[in-house]
Amino acid sequence: MIEFDGVSKRFGSQGVLRGVTLRIPAGSSLALLGPSGAGKSVLLKTVIGLIEPDEGDVRVAGRSVLRDDGRALAAVRRQVGYIFQSSALFDSLSVEENVLLGLDDEVCRTNPQWCRQRVEQCLRWVNLEPDAAAKYPAELSGGMQKRVAIARAIAGNQRYLLCDEPTTGLDPMNAALIAELLRRLQQQLGATSIIVTHDLSLARFVTDRFALLFEGRIRAHAPADEFLALDDPVVRSFTAAAQNLQRVA
Amino acid sequence: MDRINAVGGGESVGHWMIPGNALSALGARPFAVLRLTGEAWLTARACLRALRQPRTYLPLTFAQARDIGVASVPLVAVVAMISGAVTSQQTGYQFTGSLPVWIVGSVVAASVITELGPVITGLVLAGRVGARIGAELGTMAVTDQLGALQAVGRDPVLYLVVPRVLAGLMTVPALVAIADGAGLLAGWALALLTMPVTTAEFTYGVRWWFHDFALWFSLLKGLAFGLAITFIACLVGLRTTGGAEGVGRAATSAVVSGTVAVMVLDVIFVRLLKVF
Repeated sequence: MIEFDGVSKRFGSQGVLRGVTLRIPAGSSLALLGPSGAGKSVLLKTVIGLIEPDEGDVRVAGRSVLRDDGRALAAVRRQVGYIFQSSALFDSLSVEENVLLGLDDEVCRTNPQWCRQRVEQCLRWVNLEPDAAAKYPAELSGGMQKRVAIARAIAGNQRYLLCDEPTTGLDPMNAALIAELLRRLQQQLGATSIIVTHDLSLARFVTDRFALLFEGRIRAHAPADEFLALDDPVVRSFTAAAQNLQRVA
Repeated sequence: MDRINAVGGGESVGHWMIPGNALSALGARPFAVLRLTGEAWLTARACLRALRQPRTYLPLTFAQARDIGVASVPLVAVVAMISGAVTSQQTGYQFTGSLPVWIVGSVVAASVITELGPVITGLVLAGRVGARIGAELGTMAVTDQLGALQAVGRDPVLYLVVPRVLAGLMTVPALVAIADGAGLLAGWALALLTMPVTTAEFTYGVRWWFHDFALWFSLLKGLAFGLAITFIACLVGLRTTGGAEGVGRAATSAVVSGTVAVMVLDVIFVRLLKVF
């Protein structure tokens, strides 16, 4: 379970998160929706301690990530796969080396053969050919980079998956491929996941619950179908705008 | 350490400022300095803690030593040779006729070993290595690569800072030794070509002045410059925010801060030389 308990964060004078309280039960997947600048990515980064809230607590599997204890945070990070909006692959490392980073160093030192096989397995999972392993991020398309980022995020059999705008900047075919991959991972790994997105069709395809973050607070949180039927003006205006955009596209 | 990296991951550095009030903005500056000092201290402490994991940082250190050290040899040697040659010519011009010619050897050795070798090396590396590290880590910060490193449970200090700082500590003294040798050789060669001085007279001048401590002093300066240049550049790189413009600012800031650090350390070392 991932729990946000009264999480607040300010940047200078701007309050980005204002007491966010949200619980994502183990094994479920949540689409975190909201307009740009609502603080969705900030909230996601608090889960692995990349951003420290000013107030409140964030717990993963009942363990606070805010305790001033590097080991507790490291233990949480080992269980969480994080897919950044920009993929955030290391330019100077090959695809294989990037995915290896998702595995434990000590394990790879003692059993390098197993680690190499695990990398191959993860690349196959994300529909990448084995010859992609030797390539560098600059040689890959945006969609392939995103798939490598997913492979890195799942390499260590992570129990939690956090995706920040996984289809942004991708063409419709690659976006559909990533959506399919995320759904398959969700089903096969049974991971607890949060997907930050503006894309309602991706959210419906991959997740079972929606939450809308608006002006720093959770405006609505419900199972997908219930959420879409909510009579809240902000929810209705957001979903109508997102659906109109999809129709135009 | 996570707080430091959170800054690299996108928090506002001007965090303490209260907008719309010029006085509060002025008042915020000391807080920014305090914050920077605190971050430097925390990073230094994290570096010391990370030293317990040599199996992780040693291979990365050797790779960095090649980039920082070996790749800098030609530039350092050329600049040191030019400074040695200029010193030799200036000495000849100033002292010929008033002092014995062997004094050229003494002045060239004293200038190159105690001052020009280490300082020229420090300044060259503050530019070449400082800009490289600042831009490299800055790019990693603004493209979320630092966050990604933390997300996979890796400590950016262990993987990025410690190897660069150790590489600086290992290679800069060696580069200073090369600069000392290159400067002396160039000074000697140009003195032979342009002045009424023989090799025997030049080497007599060098030996007359030379004492072991000067060489250690030179290498010690190299050690301090290597530490300052790489550590400052890493700190600047980790704190980068603001996209391509931020990376440009980080590279410039790493060079300027590294250069100032070299000059300030040089002044401190001059005082130390007087003590000993």
